Amino acid sequence: MADPRTNNLARILVHYSTKVKPRDRVCIVAQPAAAPLIREVYREVLNAGGFPHSLITIEGLEYLFFAQANDEQLQYVSPFTKMVYEEFEAMIGIGSQSNTRDLSNIDPSRQSLRAKSRSEITKIFLERGAAKEFKWVWTIYPTQAYAQDAEMSLSEFEEYVYSTTFADTDDPVTMWQKIHDDQQTVVDWFVGKKHVEVKGPDVDLTLSIEGRTFENCDGENNMPDGEIFTGPVEDSANGWVRFTYPAVLRGREVEGIELHFEAGKVVKASAKKNEDFLLKMLDTDPGARYLGEFAIGTNEKINRFIKEILFDEKIGGTIHMAVGSGYPETGSVNESAIHWDMICDMRDGGQILVDGELIYESGEFKI
Amino acid sequence: MTDPRITNLARTLVQYSTEIQPGDRVAIVGEPPAAPLIREVYREVLRAGGHPHLMLKLEGMEYLLFSKASDDQLNYISPFERLIYEEFEALISMRSQSNTRALSNVDPTRQQIHAKARTELRNTFAERSATRELMWVGTMYPTQAYAQDAEMSLVEFEDYVYGTTYADTEDPVAMWGKIHDEQQRLVDWLAGKKHVEVRGPDIELTLSIEGRVFINSDGKRNMPSGEIFTGPVEETASGWVRFTYPAVLRGREVEGIELHFEDGKVVKASAKKNQDFLLSMLDTDPGARYLGEFAVGTNKKINRFIKNILFDEKIGGTIHMAVGFGYPETGSVNKSAIHWDMICDMRDGGQITVDGELFYESGEFKI
Repeated sequence: MADPRTNNLARILVHYSTKVKPRDRVCIVAQPAAAPLIREVYREVLNAGGFPHSLITIEGLEYLFFAQANDEQLQYVSPFTKMVYEEFEAMIGIGSQSNTRDLSNIDPSRQSLRAKSRSEITKIFLERGAAKEFKWVWTIYPTQAYAQDAEMSLSEFEEYVYSTTFADTDDPVTMWQKIHDDQQTVVDWFVGKKHVEVKGPDVDLTLSIEGRTFENCDGENNMPDGEIFTGPVEDSANGWVRFTYPAVLRGREVEGIELHFEAGKVVKASAKKNEDFLLKMLDTDPGARYLGEFAIGTNEKINRFIKEILFDEKIGGTIHMAVGSGYPETGSVNESAIHWDMICDMRDGGQILVDGELIYESGEFKI
Repeated sequence: MTDPRITNLARTLVQYSTEIQPGDRVAIVGEPPAAPLIREVYREVLRAGGHPHLMLKLEGMEYLLFSKASDDQLNYISPFERLIYEEFEALISMRSQSNTRALSNVDPTRQQIHAKARTELRNTFAERSATRELMWVGTMYPTQAYAQDAEMSLVEFEDYVYGTTYADTEDPVAMWGKIHDEQQRLVDWLAGKKHVEVRGPDIELTLSIEGRVFINSDGKRNMPSGEIFTGPVEETASGWVRFTYPAVLRGREVEGIELHFEDGKVVKASAKKNQDFLLSMLDTDPGARYLGEFAVGTNKKINRFIKNILFDEKIGGTIHMAVGFGYPETGSVNKSAIHWDMICDMRDGGQITVDGELFYESGEFKI
């Protein structure tokens, strides 16, 4: 018998997150390590009357690709991915890596070339996602590699995954509905607000959210979830921030990132480890030096840094920002081939003021 | 380090069988246990300048499809597969099942619905394959499941796979070139011939090959290979045959099959085990009761029955026939949703006479 939590998670993904309907074309994107969850998702998609498809890769191929492909091969866009993004009704992505660092030694300019050639389909993905023509959700299946990054045993890590997704409860869908309601109060409060000031030991930043929309992240696109986010006005960020935790992109870890903004643009960037990679990524394209996202994590069950952004950006008591592409549904118009989230802990006295009013202090909402 | 025989096999598939050219779109089809071979094939496709695409199935998905899917879901054709069959330049299929009998208890009528829905796709595949617009090859990666069917240890079975494909030699491509030449002599001799009589302890059958072409199966589409085959004139088979080995289709094994033909059609069919399944398959569609293939196996390294048709149909000293669709390049016009090979041993005094001349006796060619 499958772990009942695996089946619960599959039910959340299919019936709550993507709400698969009869005849929906659904693509399951995963690696073989997630086989037990893939099977349960496949079953639930069939139960919902959808048409399950899968794009399954195996560990090591991405490395071979980046190490060996010529420029033409690097810039080639798979017609399967294109079809999923342009035509399908849903996609369920399941991260299930057996080695989260297998791309550590790849030349980042090759990854940038690849990402650039995909910017058109990434844009379509975001637009169809915003219009809800395309429902997508991203989750992970607990593997030894993720457990290792999290500095836990696999059993402990499984518990972490299934508790933060509420897959270990009898009725996870109700739990997510409640989170939706709590967060909606905050999102509603933000409507019509303009000026944001973030202050704390590691941050002194102002930005504008005028005309922008806060999104309620309630488990539809990410599982687990728990954050509210917007796309700040592109040319409005001023000040600096030092991110608390290492930021990981494309299998590479950058520690001690500090960014300085002027008129929205990153004008100075430094890091304690892998600074070269940081700078290269910021030069991917013009949009890579502007913020695409400003967000507050709200999931109190996510309470430790595990080097996996899907979880870490939702740590209750932290904020995060992403350089690069923004989500159109927030009003963001920033476009880039990258979207890189970075987290700043606010629990040690950090404050957020909105239009002069203190709304958040030391990790707690004051409204 | 990867088993060098796996690298050899991958090279044979990419450089010899499918002759991948720069810019070719190549589908790599398989199951996760074949990961070591998949990686080597992926590497070789990149090296050849092609665009590798992975289409992996997980063990258990097919079972779920046949046991849970509605008729609508069974009739659905994946647009991924359609794209490969209609547009791609190459397909490399590596079966690597972990359980060859996972579908034993599935209702065969549900498999038929699915197969029927795919008839058009299969015709497209056969047509593009005949014109060499689509280069394809099917092979197997040794798993415990196949070893179990073969009644061998995995180590012995690996030796069998790499021995019969010549992947254990320094220059497998040269070996296959030699096999090509030997078989071409037979194929050339058969050109323009008309009347075939097959006689032996288990067979008494006549059929016409007038206007049909024998194909030299030299490792281009099957690996291992070693057979010559044609599509007999559809309404000409008369007589009977008792097949020596069990025939396996869709995860089900039928033993002791005996078929009686009149004017090309199977008019009587019986089996010692799973006769019901045999009869329901023969009723798939009108073409399922006619021969789509008549063939002689020539690979002397394939010398035992292992319950896997990729190998068994090439046993040196056997003939086989398939009910169901025929390959257009032979001149066959038989269409069906099935293609089911069945093998008859000829080493115990069996004879093939062509236009009155003894062509083959007790497993050896006489010309």
